[in-house]
Amino acid sequence: MVFRMPKGSPAVSEPTYFILASLLDGPLHGHGIIKRTLSLSEERVRLPVGTLYGALDRLAAGGLITVDREETVDGRPRRYFRLTEQGTNLVSAEALRMQQAASVVTSRILRPGSAFS
Amino acid sequence: MTVTMDAPAATGAGGGVLERRYRRLLRGYPRDYRTEHGDEIISTLLETAEPGRTVPSARESLALLSGGLRTRVVSATRRPVWIDAVHLGVLAVSLTQLATLVPYATSVPLWTGLSALAVLLVMCGRVRLALPVTALIATKIGAVTLGRPWLDATLLPVYRDPLWDDGRGAALYGGGGPVAPMTGYALVILGLLVLAVRAPRPPARSWLWWAAVPALAAADPAGLDFSHGPGAPAAARITVELGLLCLAAWAGRVTRDPRWATAAGIHLVPVCAVYAENLGAHGVQDLAHLAALILLTALAAVAPHHARRHTPL
Repeated sequence: MVFRMPKGSPAVSEPTYFILASLLDGPLHGHGIIKRTLSLSEERVRLPVGTLYGALDRLAAGGLITVDREETVDGRPRRYFRLTEQGTNLVSAEALRMQQAASVVTSRILRPGSAFS
Repeated sequence: MTVTMDAPAATGAGGGVLERRYRRLLRGYPRDYRTEHGDEIISTLLETAEPGRTVPSARESLALLSGGLRTRVVSATRRPVWIDAVHLGVLAVSLTQLATLVPYATSVPLWTGLSALAVLLVMCGRVRLALPVTALIATKIGAVTLGRPWLDATLLPVYRDPLWDDGRGAALYGGGGPVAPMTGYALVILGLLVLAVRAPRPPARSWLWWAAVPALAAADPAGLDFSHGPGAPAAARITVELGLLCLAAWAGRVTRDPRWATAAGIHLVPVCAVYAENLGAHGVQDLAHLAALILLTALAAVAPHHARRHTPL
């Protein structure tokens, strides 16, 4: 998939960013992603299951994540998703973009002598 | 694949009821998707539900309904774009043509029946069979609009059946000449020809499309309906038209695919022909109706491009 967002625009939405970030530590299944996303976002991003699986399908179709393995727990199937190299690059680039954007503000408000210091 | 045992989901005694209700909501997803991932989604839903819950939350229900619709439109993009777009556009125009004939069904039962058959064949993807049927109906409609006794003897003008009579005494294609109806039929025949020479055969469409016929029929989609002021028939027609166009714009945005906008554009051509043929006869409400259709069709056309450029993943 080719991403052609204008320069400086976010390439991923906030829920997608946290889904990708939740997979940085290793493969997770649907419920695991929801829990991890909730904790990483400090309870801000509470993904409904219908939204989560739509996002996972979209990210898998875009080559950003892939199914790592499948398990059956209590007779129910469970897929574990992991980041691809492309997904890792995208979430890293997005983190750097936000860090750079944040530094524009934090470098000023934390400067000695500024109104906020 | 690994098989493991895990602690049961904390869903309390109502877990069975909740699962049944979740499964009902999952029916919005395509059948093959449900077969492949339904159990996994149900499992995650039960794991995330609060203990004792027996009714799905409004938030989760909405997410499942929109997720189902979204998965359906995404699945549709597996089909070839242009064949799918032409098929959908031809189906929409054919349904409008059938809806035009329905209020006159007892006066022209053969032609209404053949029009329904044409819709059925288009809907099932049997375009080669639909082609001669549509050509036959087009010839008869041409005869009606020109006042000629071609194919069979029809007493003109053809008035509405009592069930559909709105007191205006509207005659079949009495609101204009042959140009608009023939534009619509020529478009359908051209579309069917394109589909007939291209493999593979278009897919079967949902039976839900039939629901549009009675909603459009009351309003006489072959003429200008809005000059007579607002009413239930005009409201039903505008609800169907605008609802489908909004859906086309949404599907284009979600999938970044132009097929729905193309189909909407095909549907717009005969509508514009009605307005062109009745130039000067339409009122402000007619123009507002046309403007709304053009605006939403344009929105549907822009949506995929805009989503590619501006909507993050």
